[in-house]
Amino acid sequence: MKEVIQRKMFDYLLKNKIYNFVGVPDSTMKYFIDQGLKRNRALIATREEEAIGIAVGMSLHFEKTGETISKSQSNSLVFMQNAGFANSMSTITSLVQLYQIPMIFLIGWRGFRENDAPEHAKIGKIQPKLLQTLSLQSMILNEEDWKKSCDWALKLIKEGKSCALIIPREFVD
Amino acid sequence: MIRKTAIAIALEHIEFDDRIISANGFISRDLFSISDTRPTFYMIGSMGLASSIGLGIALKDPGKKVFVFDGDGNILMNLGSLTTIGSLKPKNLVHVVFDNSVHESTGSQPTNTNFVSIEKIAKACNYNHTFTVRTESNFEKILRKIKKLKGPIMIVVKIQQNDTERSKRISISPVLIKERFMSRW
Repeated sequence: MKEVIQRKMFDYLLKNKIYNFVGVPDSTMKYFIDQGLKRNRALIATREEEAIGIAVGMSLHFEKTGETISKSQSNSLVFMQNAGFANSMSTITSLVQLYQIPMIFLIGWRGFRENDAPEHAKIGKIQPKLLQTLSLQSMILNEEDWKKSCDWALKLIKEGKSCALIIPREFVD
Repeated sequence: MIRKTAIAIALEHIEFDDRIISANGFISRDLFSISDTRPTFYMIGSMGLASSIGLGIALKDPGKKVFVFDGDGNILMNLGSLTTIGSLKPKNLVHVVFDNSVHESTGSQPTNTNFVSIEKIAKACNYNHTFTVRTESNFEKILRKIKKLKGPIMIVVKIQQNDTERSKRISISPVLIKERFMSRW
C-alpha cells in the first residue's frame, strides 16, 4: 500500500473514533504506524499479546463525545505482522472474545507473495484459515477500496464485534 | 503471610473508587471471595497480561489510581510489560506482585523468582519506587507510604504457599465483569 494511502487511512480511522492504536511494528504498514506516532496516538509494545492487553485496558474507558453527556467506548486498533497474529491467538480467545471487547486487528500479510522471506511462507499460507478458525471476520485492504473496508470495520466495532483488516505485502525487499 | 491475608491488607489501603486489575488464578479468586465491592477487572484467562491491561487503564484515566494484583508466574510471562510501563511512567499505577515462587494453581511447580528478583528487574526498568515486603506490618507500612509517592510503583509481597484453603471460582460472567467495571467510571 502506498505511503499516502496508509497515512490517509490512519487519519480516517482516528476521525471515525478509533482512539487507541497499539501494536508491534510491521514494515508492510510502516507509514500507517508513522502517522500514528506523529499524531502522538500510537503506542509500540514489546509483543502482540502485550499490545492487546494494553488496548483492552484502554477500551474499558469511556470517551466523552462533544459537549453532550453521551459517551462512547474508547475503541482500539491493534497492529501486527501475521507472525504476531499467531502469537496472539490465546489472547484473542481468552481475553478479547471472552469479554466481548470490540477491537480492530490490522495485520500485515507476510508470505502473501510466494517469494517473500522463508520464515513467512507457512504462516502466510495458513493465515486465512486461522482467521476463520477464530471466527474473526476479515477484509483484505486494497488501494482502491480501502475506505469501504474501513467503514465495514467501523460498523462492526459499533455493533460490539471484533474484526481484522489485512494488508498484503506486495513488495519484496 | 498467606495470599488471602495479603490481599485483605491491601484492600484496607485502597480507596473505594481506585481501580483494581487482578491476575488469573487464585489471586482473582481470593480477591473475589474477600470483597467484591470495588471496581475490579478480574482477568480470568490471558495469563501474564494483568499489568498490560492495568497500564491501558492507567493511561486513559490519569486521575484515578490503578492497582494491579499480579503473581510471580504471571509477570514472568510478560516481562516486556515492565519496560513499557517504565518507559511510559504512569504516575497512577501501583503494581503489587504476590510472590510465592510457585505456580500454585497448577500444582506448585517452581518459578524463577526462587533465583531472580522481580523488584530488581522493575527497578532496572525505571519504576519510580520499588519495595519487597515479607511481613504484614511492613506491607501495611509501605501501603501507607506509597499514598504520597508517584508511580509507577512496585511492591513485591513475599507470601507463603497455601494449598489447604482454596477460594472458589468467580461466579460472574466475563461480560458482566467488564460491564460492571465500565459502569463505575
